Amino acid sequence: METSGKKHRLKLDPRTDILLLILANVVAFTQRSLWVEIAWVVLLLLLIIACGCEKAAGKLTAAFGICLVLQYFIFPNGPKFLAASFTFLVSYARRIFPCLIVGTLILQKTPVRELMVALRKWHIPQSLIIPLSVTVRYFPALKEETGYIRDAMKLRNIRGIQKLECLLIPMMISATTTAEELSAAAVTRGIENPAPKTSMIVMRFGIHDYIFLVIGVVFCVISMMVR
Amino acid sequence: MIQIKDVSFEYEKAQGTLSHINLEIRQGECVLLCGESGCGKTTVTKLINGLIPHFEEDGTLSGETTVNGKCVAETEMYQLAELVGSVFQNPKSQFFNIDSDSEITFGLENAGVAPQEIKKRFDATVNALKIQSLLGRNIFSMSGGEKQSLAFASVYAMNPSVFVLDEPTANLDADAIETLRQQIVQIKKEGRTVIIAEHRLYFLMDLIDRAIFLKNGKIEQIFTAEAFRRISDKQRVEMGMRSLVCPKLELKEASPSGTATGLSVERLTCAFDKQPVFRDVSFSVEPGEVLGIIGHNGAGKTTLTRCLCGLFKESRGTVRMKGKALNAKQRNKLSFCVMQDVNHQLFSDSVWGECELALWDCPEERVREILEAFDLLDFKDRHPMALSGGQKQRLAVATALLSDKQLLVFDEPTSGLDYHRMREVSHMIQKIKEEKRIIIIVSHDFEFLSQVCDSIFDMREPRTERS
Repeated sequence: METSGKKHRLKLDPRTDILLLILANVVAFTQRSLWVEIAWVVLLLLLIIACGCEKAAGKLTAAFGICLVLQYFIFPNGPKFLAASFTFLVSYARRIFPCLIVGTLILQKTPVRELMVALRKWHIPQSLIIPLSVTVRYFPALKEETGYIRDAMKLRNIRGIQKLECLLIPMMISATTTAEELSAAAVTRGIENPAPKTSMIVMRFGIHDYIFLVIGVVFCVISMMVR
Repeated sequence: MIQIKDVSFEYEKAQGTLSHINLEIRQGECVLLCGESGCGKTTVTKLINGLIPHFEEDGTLSGETTVNGKCVAETEMYQLAELVGSVFQNPKSQFFNIDSDSEITFGLENAGVAPQEIKKRFDATVNALKIQSLLGRNIFSMSGGEKQSLAFASVYAMNPSVFVLDEPTANLDADAIETLRQQIVQIKKEGRTVIIAEHRLYFLMDLIDRAIFLKNGKIEQIFTAEAFRRISDKQRVEMGMRSLVCPKLELKEASPSGTATGLSVERLTCAFDKQPVFRDVSFSVEPGEVLGIIGHNGAGKTTLTRCLCGLFKESRGTVRMKGKALNAKQRNKLSFCVMQDVNHQLFSDSVWGECELALWDCPEERVREILEAFDLLDFKDRHPMALSGGQKQRLAVATALLSDKQLLVFDEPTSGLDYHRMREVSHMIQKIKEEKRIIIIVSHDFEFLSQVCDSIFDMREPRTERS
């Protein structure tokens, strides 16, 4: 899946990603100034472009632009009902953009294993990390399953409200067998070993991690000060 | 060295009871466990990898199993994990990560091995098993064969001296089986012990040192490799075993498109994101005819079946039924696919309910008749999930016949089945044939195909890989 052209791309430590996500949240819900918000969004967009998510950055920029145009040009000048019904929605949608941007970065560029290693480094208990990682692994499996069951329903002409029931039952049945087989495989690979877990990935904070965290904190402070 | 001394085991619910098993396996030996489904071969593998008694809690065990001098029952699972590596039947449910690299190192990370050492083992594994093509991949984009290869590699990385393989080829095609064979050759060369429970035998014939034939939970006979190879065809059928030689397909090719009485597929092309999956597929099938479709993984067999059943739109070409061109929606009404995992397509809480779901105003007589024909009438009040695999398959077929589907497609109906159960599926297909339906079977199982099919279509033309 990964392309070979990633050598010169910026790579953040997953811990920075998680911290940035928290900071993005704080900034999103404390700031009151449009300029602070735009600066923050632009900065984060630049960050994810540097990390190699150009496509996603493009889409997000367009969406953010549309929100701004709607709120500052269309709503004040357009028909009243439009403003009345959508202002709330649009202004909140705009607010979550910083979180969306950092979220995109995590989803696209951070392998799950690195996130798990990061959590381990913060000494989050193993009893929390294992279920979490299995859950994350289960989502794509669920998607696969739903695909098969959908096909099966189409072939059986199952329509309307029946569909939900018919989707849930096979899914639960397959989930129980999967859980059983998965845990059997897990114990034969020594998941119960009490030894402290290690990892092949060496994880270290780089200079860029510190830079971005400092910028994030600065923005947090600014957004709380500028009213 | 593995020693099993007078071991008996009884499950509370499931089948697979063992009685008075005595077995000694030397280090470096390759031992085959064979016999019909439910004969206890999987149970024997569990004695060795410790799932009995550590994982299967409700069962009664007597006797003692030791691996390299350690008593399995008294050793913790995570300590056994360093001695015994296990590969299971279902490639889908034995990985814990989304990317392949993490999966290979998973066992070592659990054991707390130092990072440099993990890296070393990782590289050694990749080199020994030649799995460079699997690195850095999303596991969900892998084929069943690739997943199984990865499962093997992640066990290999832990460097166990014993490998336990429980029906590893049940879901694999011929190429993937060959890859697995190569991997077994490699670990044999390194002097590791291999214990393999299997139905498919032909690929193991020159690998094994001994074959242990189990019946009803007892060791019926132990063969040397030499004696096992000499078993006659008649004898192995009596023993309920699959073919010992690589089965050959000698059937006529599918007739060219253009039939006016059955299904005619004309220059059908399907594509994902403009990337063609297969091109210009053409053939005809008459009612009452059974067509087998073969081809490598990635040749587009699944897409073809989905397209024929109207679940996927063709990008070019025509599908005609009795001369009339059909679009995807019309095909959907006329066709049914029996999936590899039939659990996905049973929805009701009883066998009878399942039939009613197929057709609301279906006369009771007809339902009885069909259930009778498929030996399901005695189970009409059972929950579909309480049926055996074969019964579930027959029930799915019964619903298709009730809703009067003309085209029935089977996706790998015999994966992981022993000889007798495969024969049952053949009988079922004979019954549908009598109902004058059009039957298409997609399968890797040449032994089965040569028994039931009238003609064969090979999707062999090489195509661009899709990621």
